[in-house]
Amino acid sequence: MSFFVDKEWFYYLRGREILLYKFRGGSGVGRISQNGVFQSYDKELMYPNEDIANGLRIEYTRVSEPFVAEALETTVGYNSGIGISFADAGTVVSDSNNGFNTSGKKFALGDKIRIRGSASNDGDYTLNSSTGQSAGALTITGDTFTLEAAGERVSITQIPKEVTTPDSTSHINLNKMLNLAVLDYCKGMLAERNGELDRKEYYMKEFYGKLGDNESNKRNISVTFPSGPFAVR
Amino acid sequence: MTVLEVMERLNIKEETLAIAWIKDAIHLMQSNTKEKVESTKRDLIKSVNSTDNVYLLPSDLVSLENISVLDTSDSRYKKIRRLSTQPHYLVEDTSP
Repeated sequence: MSFFVDKEWFYYLRGREILLYKFRGGSGVGRISQNGVFQSYDKELMYPNEDIANGLRIEYTRVSEPFVAEALETTVGYNSGIGISFADAGTVVSDSNNGFNTSGKKFALGDKIRIRGSASNDGDYTLNSSTGQSAGALTITGDTFTLEAAGERVSITQIPKEVTTPDSTSHINLNKMLNLAVLDYCKGMLAERNGELDRKEYYMKEFYGKLGDNESNKRNISVTFPSGPFAVR
Repeated sequence: MTVLEVMERLNIKEETLAIAWIKDAIHLMQSNTKEKVESTKRDLIKSVNSTDNVYLLPSDLVSLENISVLDTSDSRYKKIRRLSTQPHYLVEDTSP
């Protein structure tokens, strides 16, 4: 049993390796005696001394699904409600409230969807590319559901569908602002190829500027300054 | 925006080159900002020697966000701290 891992476990990065350590005198070695609980917090480190299934979690960025079949702005299919149910070992997810839009935020044949909130069917699925979509039901392909009656609040969201062998018709898996940043980067690379290094510098500055804009667009910060009663207004 | 649109705006015909530049741009993006963060999990194993505490970083890693360990006492992943230097001397716990 691991306790207080945020205080007692550490990592060290060595090249492409993570080395894990923990305090030798951590809370896991507390002993109960007639006088109470003894715990020592020595500063010695030791190697982890227990097995933990899925115990190490690494959060990181990577180049993930760079190209998709549909523009991100049009990936808008969505439905949520408590009338959604799943057939036993079937491929159909039904909504008794007929909530699958047939226009606007609708799902199309072959879309990729993400299900959340169900008791046992959460995950990513692909819709059948030829049939089975209506206001009351969606049909998936390549997978099956576990029997689940309506009742839970389930949400179904369309997610980008990766194109593994991109061609000229593939979309970049980024929003419009970042697409424009990519374009600036490509212009920079083109300028470099042509030996125009000043132009390359300009476009790289534009690239980083758009990255910054994209980040600041997510954060609205208001700054207020107190003014004294005799301040000139 | 499609790859074709990028090619037209750049006035180039090399599709493979355009795709490579786009991938490079996304790589740089992921290195500088956190447009899309992912996570992976590994089993922790009880160390019996000094190589058992070594885990490989994901091979496709661009930028490391954080590392956490499962606290089994309350079933939550908690971020752990990074050591700036590698410990020189370790006590191998043979009877934890």
